[in-house]
Order: sequence, then C-alpha cells, then structure tokens
Amino acid sequence: MTRVSRLRVRGIGAFNVLLGLATALGFGLASGWKARSSLTFNPVDLSASAPWHVGTLTLATAPADLVLGLVMVALGVELWIRVPTRGVMARFGGVAVVFFLALLLWAVRTTGPAPINFVNVTAVLVGASALTMVLIFGSLSGVLCERAGVVNIAIEGQFIGGAFVGSMVASTTHDFFFAAIAGGAVGGLLGLILAFLSLRYLSDQIIVGVVLVTMLSGLSSYLNLQVLTPFPQYNTGNLAPNLPIPLLTKIPVLGPVLFDQTGFFYLMILLVAVVSFGLFQTRWGLRVRAVGEHPQAAATVGIRVVGVRYANVILGGVVAGFGGVAFMASQGQFQPGYTSGLGYIALAALIFGRWRPSGAVVASIIFGLSLYLSYNLQTFQVPVSTEVLGMVPYLITIAVVSGLIGRVRPPAADGVPYRRD
Amino acid sequence: MPEGRRRWWHHLTTQRPWLVTLYALVLGFVVGALVIITTTASVLDAWRAIFSSWSALGHAIKLTFDVVGAAYRTMFTGAVVNPRVFWHAVTTGQGWTYALTPMSETLTYAAPLIIASVGVGIAFQTGIFNIGANGQAILGGVAGAYAGSLIHLPTFLHLPLTLLAGILGGVAVGLIPGLLKAYTGAHEVIVTLMLNYVVAALLIFTLLSTALQQPGQQNDISRTIDPSAQLAPLFGAASGLRVNWGLAVAALVVVFAWWFLERSSLGFDFRVTGANPQAARASGINARAVIILVFVISGGLAGLAGIVQMAGTTHYLDGGFLIGNAGIGFTAITVALLGRNRPGGIVWSSLLFAGLGVGGRAMQAATGIPLDLATVIQSAVVLFVATPVLVQEIFRLRHTEAGEVRLATSGWGS
Amino acid sequence: MRLELRGITKRFGPLTANDHIDLTVEPGQIHCLLGENGAGKSTLMNVVFGLLHPDEGEILVDGVPQRFANSGEAVRKGIGMVHQHFMLVPVFSVAENVVLGFEPTRSLGRLDRARAREEIRRTSQEFNLEVDPDAIVENLPVGLQQRVEILKALNHDAELLILDEPTAVLTPQEIDALMAIMRSLAASGKSILFISHKLKEVRAVSDVVTVIRQGRVIDQVPPTTDEATLASLMVGRDVTLTVAKDAAAPGEPVLRLEDVVVRDDRGLVAVDHVSLSVHAGEILALAGVQGNGQTELVEAVAGMRDVESGRITLGGRDITNATPRHVLDGGLGHIPEDRQRYGLVMSMTLADNLVLNTPRRAPFAARGTRNLGAVRANAEDLVGRFDIRTTSVESPLSALSGGNQQKVIVARELSRPLEVLVAAQPTRGLDVGSIEYVHRQIVEQRNEGLAVLIVSSELDEVMALGDRIAVMHAGQITGVVDPSTSREQIGLLMAGAVGAADA
Repeated sequence: MTRVSRLRVRGIGAFNVLLGLATALGFGLASGWKARSSLTFNPVDLSASAPWHVGTLTLATAPADLVLGLVMVALGVELWIRVPTRGVMARFGGVAVVFFLALLLWAVRTTGPAPINFVNVTAVLVGASALTMVLIFGSLSGVLCERAGVVNIAIEGQFIGGAFVGSMVASTTHDFFFAAIAGGAVGGLLGLILAFLSLRYLSDQIIVGVVLVTMLSGLSSYLNLQVLTPFPQYNTGNLAPNLPIPLLTKIPVLGPVLFDQTGFFYLMILLVAVVSFGLFQTRWGLRVRAVGEHPQAAATVGIRVVGVRYANVILGGVVAGFGGVAFMASQGQFQPGYTSGLGYIALAALIFGRWRPSGAVVASIIFGLSLYLSYNLQTFQVPVSTEVLGMVPYLITIAVVSGLIGRVRPPAADGVPYRRD
Repeated sequence: MPEGRRRWWHHLTTQRPWLVTLYALVLGFVVGALVIITTTASVLDAWRAIFSSWSALGHAIKLTFDVVGAAYRTMFTGAVVNPRVFWHAVTTGQGWTYALTPMSETLTYAAPLIIASVGVGIAFQTGIFNIGANGQAILGGVAGAYAGSLIHLPTFLHLPLTLLAGILGGVAVGLIPGLLKAYTGAHEVIVTLMLNYVVAALLIFTLLSTALQQPGQQNDISRTIDPSAQLAPLFGAASGLRVNWGLAVAALVVVFAWWFLERSSLGFDFRVTGANPQAARASGINARAVIILVFVISGGLAGLAGIVQMAGTTHYLDGGFLIGNAGIGFTAITVALLGRNRPGGIVWSSLLFAGLGVGGRAMQAATGIPLDLATVIQSAVVLFVATPVLVQEIFRLRHTEAGEVRLATSGWGS
Repeated sequence: MRLELRGITKRFGPLTANDHIDLTVEPGQIHCLLGENGAGKSTLMNVVFGLLHPDEGEILVDGVPQRFANSGEAVRKGIGMVHQHFMLVPVFSVAENVVLGFEPTRSLGRLDRARAREEIRRTSQEFNLEVDPDAIVENLPVGLQQRVEILKALNHDAELLILDEPTAVLTPQEIDALMAIMRSLAASGKSILFISHKLKEVRAVSDVVTVIRQGRVIDQVPPTTDEATLASLMVGRDVTLTVAKDAAAPGEPVLRLEDVVVRDDRGLVAVDHVSLSVHAGEILALAGVQGNGQTELVEAVAGMRDVESGRITLGGRDITNATPRHVLDGGLGHIPEDRQRYGLVMSMTLADNLVLNTPRRAPFAARGTRNLGAVRANAEDLVGRFDIRTTSVESPLSALSGGNQQKVIVARELSRPLEVLVAAQPTRGLDVGSIEYVHRQIVEQRNEGLAVLIVSSELDEVMALGDRIAVMHAGQITGVVDPSTSREQIGLLMAGAVGAADA
C-alpha cells in the first residue's frame, strides 16, 4: 500500500469517528431520555401477503442513537488503527447506513404516550433502491469511459435521451425489453458523438459533455411539447412490472429490497458483476485499463488505443441509456427535467467510488439513500431542512476530490487527448 | 474583377476564427431546421404523401420551407423587430411600445447573460473552466435579496449595496473551488459542478427561512426587494418596456472586462497564465494567486449577473430561480465559447442567444413550435465551434491561420 | 538478428531529424549510437520501432525489407525497445505489464495469471533478471522498473533490443548491473542497439560505436577510441566560431553558488554540491554534455526549482529558493533553454512578449494599468536595436522565425537593468548569422560590466565565449579552466576525469 492510500483510509476513519460523535451527541443525547422511536419492517405491498411479519420495534431514541453513534466511532477507530487494505469502502458504506438509521430514529422520535410516527425501514430501502439503481447505471457508464481515459460528463444527457426514447418505445410496444434496447441505443449514439468529437477531432471532452447535456435537455423539452403532448399515447406511463424471484422475496426486509424488483434492477446487478469481472479479470479489462493509464505504453505493444476508447465510450453510453430507461420505468413516464442532475451525482459516485464498480455501488447506495431521504423526510415533520441532506452527495464529492477525505487518483490519462505520434 | 472575386472566394474558404463561428451558426440553424422538419406532423404528412403521388412533392417542399421559414421568421420578429409593426409605429406615431418590445425583451435577457459570460470568458482565458457560474449567480441573487429586502436605505445607497451583496455572494461560492484548486489541486470542474447543486439546495433552504421568506407564504418565495434596490426600467415605468438599468451595468462590465484583459497588469498575468502556464511561472507570475483571483472575478461577475437578473426583472426570488435550462450560468458557458471569451465577442453572442430565447417564445406563440428549439440550436452551434476542424472539413476550408479555440482542461488530475 | 538501416531520412517540416542514416547491427553485437540530445537518435529509434515512418530509406531485418505500420508489428518481428520514459503502466503489477498485448488467457477471456507468472519466472531465470511478478511497478526502484521493461521485450521474444538512454535514470550501481545484463544478453545471441551520450559507458560496453550529429552519421569507431576524441566527434565543429573580444576585466563576484544540491524531477541528485561564482565583467561558460545537471542548476538559480541545500546569492543578497519574481526583480536575466516553453507566449504579440517579465515596471504600467503606448514604443525600439525581423510589433510571436524568437528573449533580457545574465543554450537552433549576433550582444554586455553565465553543450561556443570555463559532469564541477586549454583536456573533463587540467 502506498502512503497516499494509507492517508485516505485514515481520513475515512477520522471522518467516521467525527460523524459517529456527531450522531451520538446530536441525535442521541439531544433527543432527551423520554423520546421513543418506532420502526416497522412489513412490506408496503401487503397484497404480496408476506409470510413473515415483524412486529413494530420501539426503541428509546437516546440510547439507541448513542449506541449507533458509538458503533460508528468504533468502525472509524478500527480503520484508523488497522488501516486495512480491503473492504474500506464497504465499511464506509456500513457507517453511512448506520448514520441514516440513526437519523431516521431521531426524525420519528416522539415523547407522547403512543407512537404517532413510524419509519417503515423496508419501504425506505425499496424507495431508495430505485434511485440507487439509476445511479449505479450512471456510474458504471462512467467506469467504462473513464477507465479507458475519456471523461464522460454527458451521463445526464444519456439518462435524458434513454428516458425519453424508452418512454416512447415502452408506450407503443408495451414491452420494456424493446424500451431498454432503444434507450441503450440512444445512449450509445450519444457516446459515439462524444467519442467522435473528442477522439477524432480532439475537442475538449468536458466541453463536449456539458454541451451534450444542454442539447439533450433542450431537445427533450422540445420533443415533449412537440410530440408527446399532442400524441400522449407515446408517453402513456408505464411502471416496469416487478419480477419477484420465488422464495428469495420471502426473506424479511432484504427480500422485497433485492428480490422483488424490476428487470432493470437485475440487469444492473448483472452489469455490475460483468463489468467488475471484465475489468479486473480479463484480457479486455487489462487492455482497457492500460489505455486509460498509459496509452503510449499500450500503443507500443500494438493495442489500438483509439479503437478501445471508441468501444468503451459507446458501451458506456449504452449503459447510461439503460439507466435512463430504468429511471423512466420507475417513474412511469417521461417528464422534461425530471432527472434533475442524477447524471452528475452518478459522476460523483464514480469518483467517490474510486473508478471501481464495487466502489461505485457503495457510493450509489449512500447517495441514493441520502437523496431519497431528502425527498421524503418532509413526511416526518423534521426540524432540520431536507435540503441539507440533499447536499450530502455533492459535499462528500467535493471533500473527496480535494483530498479532505484522503485523495483519490483517477486513471492517469483520464481526459487527456491522445495523438498517435 | 476576376481578381477581386477570387480574393473574395479565398476569404470565404480559408479558415479564420470568425468564419468558423459564422459557419457554425449556419450549421446550428440547419440542425434546428432538421429538428423542426422531423418533428412537425404536417410536414411529415406532406412528405408521406409523395409515396402516393409525385405531384405532392412540390407541396411537400413548399410546406417544409413555409414551416421552417415561419419558425425562423417569427423568431426574428419576436426577438428583434417586426417590420410591419415598426413601420406602423413610424408612420402613425402610435404603438411604439409594441414595436420596441421585442428588442427590449432581448436586451433585458442579454444584460445578465453578458455579465455572467464575461466572467466565464475571463476564467477560460486564464485556462480555468468555471462551470459553476450558475451556482455563483444563484447565491448572488440570494445575497442581493437579503440586502434588497431586509435593509432599507435611499436608492443611491441601497442599489449599489444590493449589487455589491450580489457580487459578494458570487465571490463566496467562487472562492471555494478557487481555494481548493490553489491549495489542494482539486479539479475545478468537479467542484464547481457539485457546488451548483449545493447552492440550488441552499436557495430553497434560504427561501423557506423566516428571514427571507415572503411573509404569509408557505412556498419557496422570497420577499420582494425594496423599490430603492431595484434596477428601474431604462425608459421609465411608463414606457412599458422591461429593459432596465441592468443593461447599463452590463455595458460597464464589458468595458471593465475589456480594460481588465487588454489594459490591466493583472489581466495580462491572467492571459499569460492561460496561454502558457510554464512561461507564466518562469516570468514571475504567482500561479496560486492567479487561480484564486480568477475565481474571485469570475464568481463576482456571476453573482452580479444573478442580482441583475433578479433586481431588474422579477424583484423577488422563487424556487425556480435560474434552475435548469433557464440557468444563465449554464448558457454563459456556451455564450463565452461562441464569443471566443472576448468581451466584444461575448456581447454579440449574448445578444444572439438572448434573442434566440426571446424569439423562441414568440415562435412558440405564433407557430406552436416549442421554444426549447432555441436551446438545441445554441448547443449545436457551440458543439461546432468547439470542433473547428469538423467545420473546416464540412466547408472544405483551407487551413492557414491557427486560430482555434484552444482550451486546456487536461483530465481530472486531482 | 541482423538489423540494417539504409538511407533512413525523416523530416519534420523544415527540420531534417535523420539525414540518410546507414547502420548495421550484427547478431550478438552491442552497437552504440552516440550523439548529443537533439542529434536525432530518438527519432531514428522511433523509426526502427515503427512509431514513426521514414520519409526515405529502408529497414532490413535479417536481409528482408520491412515496413512497420505500428510498433506492435515491430514487436512481432522481434524488435524490443526499452524507452527512456518507461512504457510501463505504473499501477499494474510486473506480470500485467510484461504480458500486456500478449496475454495468456483461459475461457471467457480471463487472464491466466498463473501462466503469466510462470512465463515471467522462466524468462527471468533464463536471462538472470530477478523481479517479483506480483510487485506493483510504481513501487519498484527505477532500476528494477527498467529490468521489467527489458523483461517485457524478452518475453515478446525480442531478438534485437533497443535501449534508449538507459542509464540516464540509474544510479552507478544500477548502471553496473545493467551493463552486466547487456553483456549476457549479447552473449546469448541477442543484438543490442544502445543509445547514449555518456562516453564512459559507451566505451565500457559497446562492440562498435556510431556517432551521429545533426541527423547525420559522422563516423563509426571502435570502443577503444579515447573519450576526448569521442567527445569532439559528438559535439563537432561545424562552424569555426570566432568572437572578437578583449581580455576580461573581472570585478566583484555577483552570482555565487555555495555547495548547492538540487534534485531533478525524478528525485535524483542532479546538482551535486556545486560551488561557482560569476564575476562582474566576465563570461563564465559552463560546459558539459547535456543532461549532467546544467538544466537543473539554471532552474535553481532562476527560482524555478527547489534547492535542497547550499546557498545562492545574487549581488550579496540570498536568493536561495526565492520565487522567480524575486529573482528577476533582483536583477537576474534568464534566457531559458526551452524558450518556447518557458520564455515566450507564442499566441501573444511580439510587443507583449518583450515585456513578459516586466509588465508592471515603469513605464509599461502604472497603478495596475498597462501603458500600451510605452509597450509598443519599447517594442519598436528593441526591434530596431536587436534587428528582430517582423512585419509588425503587434504580430503574434508564432509568426516569427526561430532565430527572431530567440532575439526577442535576448532583447527582452538585455534591455532591462541586470546584474547577471544566465543564458542556457542561447544559440541552439539558430543560423550562423543569428549566432554571431547573439554572441556579440553577450560580449558587449560583459564589456559593460555584466556578469554572464553561459550554459552550452557546444564546445566551440564555450571556448569562443568563455573567459573562464567550468566543466560539469554528473552533477559536479570537474574543473574550472582557462579558454586556452586544449579541446582534448576539456573533453576529458566533460567525460568526468576530475582534475585532468591540473595534470
């Protein structure tokens, strides 16, 4: 392990300790000893007639949050002292989940005789999983592009394009398979444009990406008014059906979260597995990473740098296009502007996840949870502003790129134009 | 004459910066026309008819030109002037407000756009990509709203104070990426991108806070700023024209930016840094100071743009302030690129893009073609400007002058 | 393998980097290509390795003409190259780097890491190149990284190995190890093309030496040729330089270096306890083959590189680790070696470039506002005085020829009040007329009492200009001699023979 990564691990450890202390003091001690919080775990959709039933869990808020805070502190101290080389992100993800749990307990606390508020943990996780899924598609797209050395800042645009075309195709064919293919194709086409302008004409990748997002958001608003409004049959609204996996759905809490999902969710899991495996276990992955780290070195052994980059940027576009369709399928239809920067959060998840599929998954879970809570926490008359929670992904990313929580290192040739001589 | 004509042809086929811009504009409008054609049902139906009978071809072509022509004509008359209405005003002396409204609207939108774009352009000229102008503009608006609604002073103090508050709001947001880049090397693109969303959330947060929220409101709407803090209509409230003193502020900013880049010592340091960072260092320029100052100036101008937008038109903030496509901070990036980051060029490209926006609204009202077409044209134009070689190949330009838009953002390099 | 080059010519615009080069490397031979930086060695090697395509001439491998579309093809034909800047992915393991492009795989395209490791182990043992296949390359010392490069080439079954300046980055111990490796490879039948400008190593390891200069083959000599002869062949004497100058009247020391230590970009000691002083009214010429620490020394003086230890003073004031601004304001004029990169801004006007490091000085600016009239007048004046050929002082600098660009820097530096002028390779790339002109200017300034430090790898220039000559080798000053010293003596000092002049 190099010195830099040790610093990073320790930085994360220190951050965990601070967050834990804040949780213990701010949520725990400040709640007062009389406060009680209630959690429920039953799936929202009772028609599924869950064979399991977990009773409502009522806890004394202060001790519970105190304990959770101390758990976070302990996890942080462990990172600081042992400086492990593996599982750092997983531990950080664990701390984040504990934090959100503590936050929820605090948010629904009551001092009255009977609980008024509940948190349905299962419902929260199911709700957040849709956002997380979209973020994972986006950050996987980023992994594919940036590992090969091309910055794909146009993920947001690929989401928009995928969602728009996905909705049209889903509405006309009533088949999400075709919707996925069409959305993926649009994403891939946008990837091709990015690749063409930045690889052939060496245009600035960041400028092209930013302008592509602007273009797609304009184009989709335009088409929404020009096509979807007069012909509403092209945007009828369809939620992708859930495809429960028998037996596994019956696992309490995890069942509905992981095994009673849409096809897009399983596709996402498959893609994570394939990309992780491909990138780190196969010849293809070795070459892609070589192209992203040191294109000249790759070229000297006969690897076609530009070809690899084209392929990956297009592939990344396809994956982001899937993400757009998946988002549309979780919302039911297309609306202009409704991706509201999810593509940029996916970019953030990519960076926070250190350009690794597994890291991107953890980051997307954290970001997805914090986004979901920021959208939905109003329901619990929380005295804190939900906007603050919505800032979390962005603030974490800024802290990460500034090296405040340890420094991350992008692929060395990421965003650097490649000339053949 | 043949000699003269050949020279003229040579001019049009030799790659020059302004020529690439011109051709990019042409291509942008061609893209817009294609979008209209492929999405307008009546046009598509007319073309479908030629599969039944060749005689429909003439009609199809005519209809295509009519529809595209109507769109671009109403865009022009909505953004600049409607000759018929203008002539009516000239001959009768009546209806001047009506005749001048398009121009007034375009100038109203152009003013903050010019200011923000100049800020982005100065940063670009220094080799810095300030993608966060929108966030800086939003906080400028927020700071200005505090100063404009919570402090009560006579105009000659209140208005400058409000504008200053706007500038400082922008500086505050701009300093974050500036300091982080100078001291930790964090890439400004990521930091500014993320800050846009942080500030957008902050906007809602402040609008819902007791201090700024409009009394008696539950929604995210701010108090209206005092009349003493507003930028008054340029020709008086009675004129009915919205164009306001923000335009004068924009003019001052352009003059300042021209002076700054062309005449000031600090601006010279900026340009040297942007053109050759290593030579800048060797000739004694303090890179860290330049980075921080770029963000102070760029952020300050974005903040000023935000407050000019608010104090000149709406006079209050709501949750939709500069959000999404309408965000002048995002448009400013494309405007600056089109204007080649020079104040003069930015004035023209701001007028063009403001005109596209305003004209787009008129087009939508007259023809039903959505105004978002303007955004599509804008982004297509900028894609072409950012890829001069492509334009050069499309128009088979001879390559003689190396006058390309050169922007050095080399990777995330954190 | 027998590699034969016939009439290889490669041009870059007006510049001819390789001019009809003929060269033959016999099997089992260590053939050295000796030449200065910029002599065209790297271009030639890139041509052989398929990275560049020759404009004329042909490459024969074992008598068969070849055309390599890219380096992958060259590798397949048995040519391996160890680049000066290693072509290794720093974050990959040794095994991953070695097999890249030729990966053993199992089903599903999975990397067969076990086989890769085995292959490497086998090659390592065969050629006695021990290295841990699982180590991450960036964590290895430079010498081992180079070993990985060699291993990579051998693993691709290279029969001819090109080593481009392989010793430039190595410590003496690592160099010894490399020499041993080279000998054993040659003994096992591999051909080696060894590119260097370091005379000692060339003599120690090669079987035959080809000297090239300005893109042309100058001579082919046996390695037994003495170092002084090799040095003079390498630096050459194309133009007989004569500079009319009177004897110097040196005054007080102005620029002083005391025991200065500076590291290069790789963190190696480049300037090794150097002490020098430059007096008012004299030209001290710093001679030496390029890459012996002169660049780093100049950068340290100019405030652009950290000084690790020691002291630099300018007119009695301490400027150790001062900022470039401080040093420039303290009266140091600097003509940098890489002028397009450090000395000029090509997209800005001639007039602006002439005030590049004095933009705030009176009369060019007052209270933060530039006085463009004064900037322009200054430019008109300097264009006349220094004979800069341009259509207008407002033309972008990129429109000027290389010689005129150099004159811009000379004019800028000499037109402001200076205490010392440091000029690195001030006449490189200039035509004869411009060279004479620049020399005259420098001598004039010295006559007026300026202290001048000239860094040059052109021996003729050094001997013509210098009032005293300091010779630098491997980061150290091997001697300070009088310009009347013989070329051979100076050649010996350049080759690192300390105190040769005293003998």
